[in-house]
Amino acid sequence: MPEPTPRAGRPARAGRVDPGTLATHAVLSLGALVMLFPFVWQLLTAFKTMPESVRVPPTFLPQNWDTAAFSEVFTALPFAEMLGNSALNTLGRTLGQLVFCSLAAYAFARMQFRGKNVLFAVFLSVLMVPAQLLILPQHEIIQRLGLLNSVPALFLPGMFSAFGTFLLRQFFMALPKELEEAARIDGAGPLRIFWSIMLPLVRPALAALAVITAMWSWNDLLWPLVVNTDPTTMPISAGLASLEGQFVTNYPVLMAGSLVASLPMLILYVLLQRHFVQGIALSGSKG
Amino acid sequence: MRRRSLLAGAVAATPVLATGCSGGGDSPDGSGGRTVLRYGMWDPLQVPGMRKIAKAFEAEHPEISVKIEVTPFDAYWTTLKTAMRGGSAPDVFWMNAVNIQLYASNGVLRPLDEFIERDGFDMGVHPGELVGMYSYGGERYAMPKDFDTIGLWYNKELFDRAGVPYPDDTWTWDTLRDAAAELTDPSRGVHGITGEMWRQYTYYNTIPQAGGYVIRDGRSGFDDPRTIEGLRLWTDMIDRGWSPSQSAMTDTRGRQLYLSERTAMNYDLSAMASQMYASPAIRDHGGVAVLPRGRERATTIHGLANAISGKSPRAGAAWEFVKFMGSRRAAEIQAREGVTISSYAGTQDIWVKSMPEFELRHFIDMLDYAVPYPASKYTAAWENLQTQLLGRPWTGKGGIEEAARTLARQMNLALEQEK
Amino acid sequence: MAVFPSTAAAQAAGRTGRRTRKATGRGPGRTQRSAYLFIAPIALGFLVFYLWPLLQTFYFSFTSFGVFGGNTWVGGENYQRVVQDVTVGRALLNTLVYMAMGLVTLPVAIVLADLMNRPGLRGVSVYRALYFLPFITLPTAVGLVWNWLYNGDFGMVNEALSVIGVDGRYWVSDPSTAVYAIGTVMVWSQVGYYLIIFIAGIKAIPRDYYEAAQLDGAGPVRRFFRITLPLLSPSIFFASVICVINSLQQFDLIYVMMSPVNPALGSTQSIVTLFYKWAFEENSQGGAAALAFLLMLLIAGLTYLQFRFQKRWVHYA
Repeated sequence: MPEPTPRAGRPARAGRVDPGTLATHAVLSLGALVMLFPFVWQLLTAFKTMPESVRVPPTFLPQNWDTAAFSEVFTALPFAEMLGNSALNTLGRTLGQLVFCSLAAYAFARMQFRGKNVLFAVFLSVLMVPAQLLILPQHEIIQRLGLLNSVPALFLPGMFSAFGTFLLRQFFMALPKELEEAARIDGAGPLRIFWSIMLPLVRPALAALAVITAMWSWNDLLWPLVVNTDPTTMPISAGLASLEGQFVTNYPVLMAGSLVASLPMLILYVLLQRHFVQGIALSGSKG
Repeated sequence: MRRRSLLAGAVAATPVLATGCSGGGDSPDGSGGRTVLRYGMWDPLQVPGMRKIAKAFEAEHPEISVKIEVTPFDAYWTTLKTAMRGGSAPDVFWMNAVNIQLYASNGVLRPLDEFIERDGFDMGVHPGELVGMYSYGGERYAMPKDFDTIGLWYNKELFDRAGVPYPDDTWTWDTLRDAAAELTDPSRGVHGITGEMWRQYTYYNTIPQAGGYVIRDGRSGFDDPRTIEGLRLWTDMIDRGWSPSQSAMTDTRGRQLYLSERTAMNYDLSAMASQMYASPAIRDHGGVAVLPRGRERATTIHGLANAISGKSPRAGAAWEFVKFMGSRRAAEIQAREGVTISSYAGTQDIWVKSMPEFELRHFIDMLDYAVPYPASKYTAAWENLQTQLLGRPWTGKGGIEEAARTLARQMNLALEQEK
Repeated sequence: MAVFPSTAAAQAAGRTGRRTRKATGRGPGRTQRSAYLFIAPIALGFLVFYLWPLLQTFYFSFTSFGVFGGNTWVGGENYQRVVQDVTVGRALLNTLVYMAMGLVTLPVAIVLADLMNRPGLRGVSVYRALYFLPFITLPTAVGLVWNWLYNGDFGMVNEALSVIGVDGRYWVSDPSTAVYAIGTVMVWSQVGYYLIIFIAGIKAIPRDYYEAAQLDGAGPVRRFFRITLPLLSPSIFFASVICVINSLQQFDLIYVMMSPVNPALGSTQSIVTLFYKWAFEENSQGGAAALAFLLMLLIAGLTYLQFRFQKRWVHYA
């Protein structure tokens, strides 16, 4: 995103720092420090030994960057498997939402059919219901399907999103009508128009939705706690909570575990920062 | 260091599932004509012992084989419940006091009386409190396998330094309080005692000692003045600074404080002996005494038991296995593993002698006046209420009486739901 | 609810819809069919995983759950329990504290957004990235890290306070501070989210407004209150709606930060953590279902109030 252009009457003078700018930097850096420090401390603690982590007064840098805590995490729990479960959960929900939401959003935005508005109102009402209200029966359904303690149980209900449909519909609505009509005259069917003409045009929205969905899926805790109680089918969020149950106050191990568990999303964030920010901004201005 | 609840090994401890595979799927009745029994348990530490017992059993009963299935404690009960609904529960599985009435009252356990009477099995070899704990409506539903009592663990070095004589069976609450006061040494960061807000370790013992009760005839005892006395013993010592407050003990648990020699006395499980024994300092100058008496003597007893699924089509074979698990032979195999105390009378010596530095016999001596772990059908509901409502008095903010009365009211409300 | 299109509007839209179809002159059958096919997958998903469960929960809230299957009708008993239970009252109170603290995040985020929009400021994208970091981090991990920072014996928070001569506490296990300690973590992890919404909102404000104000001699503070704040009000309104909905559903952090022996358990429990306990630990699914409806009413009610009163302060340009 471009930097804001300087406001009239106050050109940034080279060589001299404006005191107001300096104060702004001071406030913002202090805030940034508060935001960043917990991560720094997490990282440093993860490389300490248990006795070093509780030394008084504390050491700032680890004395000899001990990696035992990391290996402990992987032996105490099937952590690698849990990371895999989280990845599959994230992939399942994200792909599901991209496909199902974009199809429905396109229909709602660009097609005419009977009952459209009633259906759309029903979709919107789903958006309004808090997730907790549905968990008990959802759990029963998963159980009836024989899917408790399985990876599909993690992502199945989350593949369908009213929010995603709503978001993409706004984008489809903004597209010019001529594109579709030209294609229709060329004899293209609805699926073809959707797939090769319209869908590519909303790519930024799809990227934003994908990134936001991936984030929520990776971070979700309540639903996995409910459906998958077996460590081998848990995602990392729930696995980390059970790690806490085992190593109550062994903080190097807990910090190592939490670092490993949050790293994939952090890496994704660093790589796709623009999409994250855009996703949030979109859901902000169009919600 | 690990969070543990009822029994020593109870809460899912250490590494992963030793024998893999949890519920789900049905077991074919015969592999080569043998009946396959599925045996559900949660403690990975006990897998080696259980496997030895299963081997011994299979040697006696060549027509039956036992398949052990381990599910971590955190997931054990939800998994079992789901398996019960779907009809895929193991044939034999571990049961505890908190859950027995729930399962028995819902008819998902096989009553054992007909088998016990048919075979003339003498249940008297197991402590009566445990047999009673696993009875419901006059029927016995599970075979006790091990037990735990609470004792007073103390640190001889800290006692010597403060010039306080070691605890023995003459101790009363008054002696305990005086000692706690004298042993407290703020300059060294040492507390006299650690009175954790953890029912089984602390107030479930002092409540009956004061002559109170937790639950009786489906009503809460927390509004009984004597019950409140049993609670106040602890909150008082916290208020006076002889025990750390529960806030401090959340960040560093009582057992940790004892192991790191920052508390002179700690009420703890018999099953912790092997963990205490592993610490050189405690092994050298740690000790065990019977709990000091209040109006009465008491300690909380809890133990695990083996139950048979009401839906198992292999109940006959399952009973043979359960009976074997309740025998002296199995008890001795289990005792030699050193993880738990077998409940079979006379097999505890092996355990007592395995750690001669501690006088572990005190744990056995207390059986004479042990009080069963209190439970009802939905035990978990009112147990959760305790942690929610006793927090303030346990952090030195006073109001134990009021908190206890609120707890009684809420607990009665919860008990009302059981009917 | 206020955000739904009114039925009249829906009918009107429907009418125009039909007209358009006739005008194109193509067989409406084919478009209709493919439209339904486009919607079918998600509609099926909603039916199975959202709408049917919604009805079921409503039914559950009037039943007592058999642990091993089978429900019995108990009428309004569950709702009666929800009303009578002291722990529900406390959970409600705690939830409102979380909400209040959540709302405090908004002014902080507005000020930060305004600062970051300062003309010619360098490194804005770095700041933004850092402030946003906590929001995308796994809440379970965030809870563990903050538990460690809050630790009464060895935590960095107490360490930092001792530098300025303040005595530390057991922040998350002291019943009188725990709820605020957790609330602070919520503020910390969400401020970046609102920041991004507000930065986008401020960027959308036309530059000439500021220029005109400057010509009139308005200083930065005056410009903030006279231009930024009013023109940002739609974003603020949106953020406050989201904020209320999110704070009422707090679960992850509380679940992770509170161990079962924590004496502050009762004074930090939210409606949703209580719901989880009832539903999945205490075999009280009927009560939990009733509690979930209470939560929905609360969310719907507060959202309605916000929409109702938005006219008084939200300026749509």
